[in-house]
Amino acid sequence: MNVVEYVAQQVINAVSLGSLYALIAVGLSLVFGILNLINFAHGDMMMVGAFAALVLQGAGVPFPIALVGGIAAGGLAGYAMERVAFRPVRGAPDVTALLTSLGVTFILENLGILLFSASPRNFPLPAWLGHVYELAGGRITFTNINVVTLAFAFLAFAFLYWFVTRTRIGLGMRATAEDLTAARLVAVRVNAVIVVAFVLASSFAGLAGMLWAAQVGVAYPLMGFTPMLKSFIAAIIGGFGSIGGALIGGYVLGALEIAIVAFLPAAVSPYRDAVVFALLIVLLLFRPGGIMQVRQEVKL
Amino acid sequence: MKFLRPLLVGAAALVLAGTALAQDPIKIGGAFNLTGALASLDVPAANGAKLAVKEINAAGGVLGRPLELVVYDGKTDPATITNIATQMISGDHVVAITGFTDSDSALALGPIAQRNKIPFVTAGATSPLLPTQVGDYMFLEPFGDNVQAAVGAEFAMKKWGDKAYLLYDKATEYTNLLAGYFKDAFTHAGGQVLLEDSYKSGDTSYSAQITKLKALSTQPDFLYISAMPDDIGTIVKQVRQAGIDLPIVGGDGYDTPLLVQVAGPASNDVYFTTHALMTMDSTPAVAKFIQAYKAEYGKDPENAFAALGYDSVHLIANAITQANSTDPTKIRDALQATKDLPGVTGAISYVDGQRVPQKQVTVIGVKDQKLYLAAQEAPSYIPTP
Amino acid sequence: MRYARLLLFAAAMVAVGVLAPHLGEYPLRVVIVMGIEVIMVASMALSNGFTGVFSLGHVGFIALGAYSSAILSLPVTAKHAYLRDLPGFLAHVSLPFLPATLIGGALCVAVAFLVGLPLLRLSGHYVTVATLGLLVIVNVVLVNADAFTRGSRTFTGVLPYTTLWWVLGWVAVTWLVSSRIAYSPFGRAMRVSREDLVTAEAVGIEILPTRMTAFVVSAFFCGVAGALYAHYLTSFSPHAFYFPLMIQLIVMLVVGGMASLTGASVGVVVITLLSETLRNLERGFHIGALHVPPLYGASQITLGIVFILIMIYRPQGLLGDHELVLVPRSRRRRLAGTPREETEVQV
Repeated sequence: MNVVEYVAQQVINAVSLGSLYALIAVGLSLVFGILNLINFAHGDMMMVGAFAALVLQGAGVPFPIALVGGIAAGGLAGYAMERVAFRPVRGAPDVTALLTSLGVTFILENLGILLFSASPRNFPLPAWLGHVYELAGGRITFTNINVVTLAFAFLAFAFLYWFVTRTRIGLGMRATAEDLTAARLVAVRVNAVIVVAFVLASSFAGLAGMLWAAQVGVAYPLMGFTPMLKSFIAAIIGGFGSIGGALIGGYVLGALEIAIVAFLPAAVSPYRDAVVFALLIVLLLFRPGGIMQVRQEVKL
Repeated sequence: MKFLRPLLVGAAALVLAGTALAQDPIKIGGAFNLTGALASLDVPAANGAKLAVKEINAAGGVLGRPLELVVYDGKTDPATITNIATQMISGDHVVAITGFTDSDSALALGPIAQRNKIPFVTAGATSPLLPTQVGDYMFLEPFGDNVQAAVGAEFAMKKWGDKAYLLYDKATEYTNLLAGYFKDAFTHAGGQVLLEDSYKSGDTSYSAQITKLKALSTQPDFLYISAMPDDIGTIVKQVRQAGIDLPIVGGDGYDTPLLVQVAGPASNDVYFTTHALMTMDSTPAVAKFIQAYKAEYGKDPENAFAALGYDSVHLIANAITQANSTDPTKIRDALQATKDLPGVTGAISYVDGQRVPQKQVTVIGVKDQKLYLAAQEAPSYIPTP
Repeated sequence: MRYARLLLFAAAMVAVGVLAPHLGEYPLRVVIVMGIEVIMVASMALSNGFTGVFSLGHVGFIALGAYSSAILSLPVTAKHAYLRDLPGFLAHVSLPFLPATLIGGALCVAVAFLVGLPLLRLSGHYVTVATLGLLVIVNVVLVNADAFTRGSRTFTGVLPYTTLWWVLGWVAVTWLVSSRIAYSPFGRAMRVSREDLVTAEAVGIEILPTRMTAFVVSAFFCGVAGALYAHYLTSFSPHAFYFPLMIQLIVMLVVGGMASLTGASVGVVVITLLSETLRNLERGFHIGALHVPPLYGASQITLGIVFILIMIYRPQGLLGDHELVLVPRSRRRRLAGTPREETEVQV
């Protein structure tokens, strides 16, 4: 395998990983942009989507419908989360909402363990998804799952772009993100906007959860934790609160993670997460607004 | 005749007292992480243990008394584990303890059991260092990782050659230890590790590591991947999807239905060292256990730890019977003297005052998504723990 | 008169120290762990609550303190057995408890200083995320620094130095130092910088040094608490100092009242008692003829629900930013400088 092939394969790897991060990060940024809320429970929406699809498939539902079911389950969970946990604390200082999300994730994860047991479960896939494509005589490979993930990521963003720029509620979302009080003053139905944001964010996370489970092959209650952390970083890299930023940030993070393992000596690979976080801290110090230069908080 | 009534009453009282005594259960502590990060391993072990207690009691109990497993959830938290240790020993007055499938938890509980002279048999922790670290009341039920890694190394070298690729998760104790022992045994036998790489459990994609492997100028003869049950299916699947058909070898972390379920046809040419072949066409003891587990819990044993938990209870029950006493020190001595006790995971003996058992290592291969017995052996060289 | 309060405080500590062992071994353990957690949470209150810098990284300092003090105090024989690759002097040295603890704390101070300089310039969400990064980085370093920490393998053989008296002693020191800082003109500066950065700067408060002081002091005590914890558990690995512990401490901090030192203690006691009670209940119990089967995991879910309810109905925590009377009104006013600070006048 020569250098070009090596790099090409790693690029494919990075794009696949990045698509997943982007899908999750978008939801985080969406909610943060409007509510200034860091939702630690976002990762659990992945679990909800994946397990919904798992249960549906177990009941004999064909995969495409189970996929839709997972997205819907995610959205529903997002709605419930907003109404039960986050709406009552709206208006409280930001820290309160963040803490509430910690509480929510704690509950959801333990509920998941209680209901489904902590053991990972096989995530069944239709055979065509596992189809392997080979280039350069087998030295470069990727599967349909990678293709599907990429496709869904762009579909999701296209949909979101259309929604945010072309619909009334989308306009309301942008207005609320700018200034919640002012939006209320011009008769934007802020409650509805927030609910829609949560539902959208959680649906995307549910979709990401299913795609993640498809790539890994298993689903388990604690599956959302690490992806959430990573997507967090992705969202900040792109500019926390910016949807386009989340998209870009997802791919940047995917590339970064693959690059650290692929191009640096093997002794460095175990430090991957530390390196990523360290770079994040450096970014926060010099360009907290991220790539899209989102409005900056006061910095000394 | 005057004496008859008091005699009868006295006799009745004695009989009643006798039955009351007979009903007084012998308590064994069951310490498991039923919640938290290690629950996927400990819950099956706990299930196996509970099943064993049920069966023992159905057969008349131990020393004529019922056995009671006092279960506590360690929550995968060391402070909670020290609490439950104290609760079991000082509150429930257990005569022995079984539990845990990892070293962190075993080491949190071990010193307390040792201090109170209560024998502690770990159901699934495989670090051979444990008995030395804790003391003479600590016993391992499964074989040590150094033994299974050595068997894996020798088996692979004999079958395929002396060049290996090593992959493991640095952040997990078990995978770390196993990989270390493998390297030790393999290089001792003259083998060469061409590339040693690590991954992080829970990652979606091992593509970066796999690509590095593919890019090696000299390809290895086989891959030794030290992994936990949660990850192995994914890793095997992705390795094969990338077009790598080399044999894959590992430890008892592979012993889970997930390997074949998740990897599917990719699981071909995968071999692993483990405690027993957990399929219906294995030994009669295994088949019987699988059936009993399914009857009790409605599902097949999730992984090898179910059988290990089961065997650990039988080990303790046997020791109590051999000691003919519920004195913990006598039980400890009886445990130490255990010889050729049959179990689902093989016959267990503690020799030469060692508290890591001498057990045969089973090597299982996968072909056409079916498990089969590839070998059963003990290593010729055992790496020092 | 001003010493009456101190004497009362000391008497209470002594009472706990004398009486607690008689409760039984299990309750004694619970009390010791509560004491250690009080140190952790009180120092987090100093940093998070009083300066408004919501840091999620303190568990990193706890980990550093635990490992460094354990490495220093480990007997030389154990070092030869388990830490064969320790460099030079470390391999041959074995310190008693107090020096090991202090050096552990000092290490945390150094790290906090280095890390705080860049991080504490950030505000709001960004510092929260950055300190989360600190936690992850510490964890990764501990897992990879095999020669010092045995990596992910259990660090064991630590001598069980921690007794109730050590814990109580350090709790007293933590409280005294923290309350001295928090209820002083300096403490006022901290609280002003929490409320309104612009105003604070306008009245000449230097934000960074203010935050740094609180951060560094809290890092020291977190390191000490880590040392106490390490010598209580005697065996641990990096996993013991990660997100589960962080969540637990944050819950205690918030439930008690983030900006209150006694609130920290109240939070620890309330959550510990609740948690232990639930943990014992979830094993199943009988009420007369009613048998409730075990439901493991229920205690965590219940705690989570309680936490959310508190966030909804009493987000400032049980004590808010009031304190249980430790400092009499008159002295507080003298320390604070003006009589119009409403947070201090309340009881």
